[in-house]
Amino acid sequence: MTVVLLDEHRALALCADADGERHTVETALLEQAAVGEQLLVHAGVAIASLAPEVAA
Amino acid sequence: MKFVDEFRDAALGRAVAGEILSLVEPGRHYKVMEVCGGHTHSIYKYGVDDLLPANVELVHGPGCPVCVIPMGRVDDGIAIAEMPGVIFTCFGDMMRVPGSNGSLLDAKAAGADVRMVYSPLDALRIAKQNPAQEVVFFAIGFETTAPSTALTLKRARAEGVEIFSCICSHVTIVPPLRALLESPDLRLDGFIGPGHVATVVGARPFEFIPADYGKPVVVAGFEPLDILQSIAMILRQLAEGRCEVENQYRRVVPYEGNLRALEVLAEVFELRPHFEWRGLGFISDSGLKLSPAYADLDAELRFSVPGVRVADPKACQCGEVLKGVIKPWECKVFGTACTPERPIGTCMVSSEGACAAYYNFGRFAREREVV
Repeated sequence: MTVVLLDEHRALALCADADGERHTVETALLEQAAVGEQLLVHAGVAIASLAPEVAA
Repeated sequence: MKFVDEFRDAALGRAVAGEILSLVEPGRHYKVMEVCGGHTHSIYKYGVDDLLPANVELVHGPGCPVCVIPMGRVDDGIAIAEMPGVIFTCFGDMMRVPGSNGSLLDAKAAGADVRMVYSPLDALRIAKQNPAQEVVFFAIGFETTAPSTALTLKRARAEGVEIFSCICSHVTIVPPLRALLESPDLRLDGFIGPGHVATVVGARPFEFIPADYGKPVVVAGFEPLDILQSIAMILRQLAEGRCEVENQYRRVVPYEGNLRALEVLAEVFELRPHFEWRGLGFISDSGLKLSPAYADLDAELRFSVPGVRVADPKACQCGEVLKGVIKPWECKVFGTACTPERPIGTCMVSSEGACAAYYNFGRFAREREVV
């Protein structure tokens, strides 16, 4: 999913899936997240971000 | 679409299939186990096994979270769901898993308040909207899903949602793999490692497989090219006489895993001394329960549950399928008495179950082959 909006205070992100549908995602398990970043989301929680060199 | 299209490229797929063909020794039979149910689903959905030489056999492992839940645990969930004042929440697949006397979906039809959720956070949201009721989440899954449950329990604690609790049936992947490797029934040449579990735990926990059992492991992604490439990497290790853990899914999996997730898991959960797996029996240190610090959110302590071990139906051969001893179509009830619409065994319930994946995709290819 792609990060659309971040709420760093609550460790939440609004993300868009491949169909453009929006989901609230917990980001507490990531070092950091940025708008536009691709995340691997499982059961509502981001467990990884795609390696920047791959995502570039 | 980025990260998808390039991993489904047909020309590249044919090239990797050719590489695989060049790596196999004629006359040798190779058995490679894909551990994760997500891989099983992709293999059948994209026809990956159709691209392999006849002497490379894929064996399906125990990595479907729904498939390994024993009937007794389903009965425990239903017992709580039927209590007055309880809203019982679980993932969609879990609602259809048969217990000894019906499923959670049957319990819902009979009047229990059972609700499907996409994440434990949805269950917590339901709890906050219904403060006069007890809201229970049926937590299942491997190390991929467990961090989501752990974060939800931490959030419930932080927000003071006392009516929320969790019946924890999370499991860990390493103990069943060790049990399979100790099994005399099965001779394997290598493993396609579970990419999403490895996102959390890293690739290091799989090092015991080459070190203790002399089998290569390649942690793999879930697109068809990921799986084909991981098979080529396993065969290359065998051809070169190497035996190690390799990471094909480096775009997502760090070798050391997600350290934050591991910290959260260590805080919220602890290992059960024993946990029953469907078809595999009791395996030591293979299940998770809530740690003493979170015991007040443990539904098994808050409610009275039967906790009775229930034998699988005699006709069902999920155990043999989960151990890779038989193929889904070799089960006596596959596709006849047991279908995705009316499953007898768990492997026919989840889309990641070998039987459901094979029923939905693979059976047509087999019919062509048989004809």
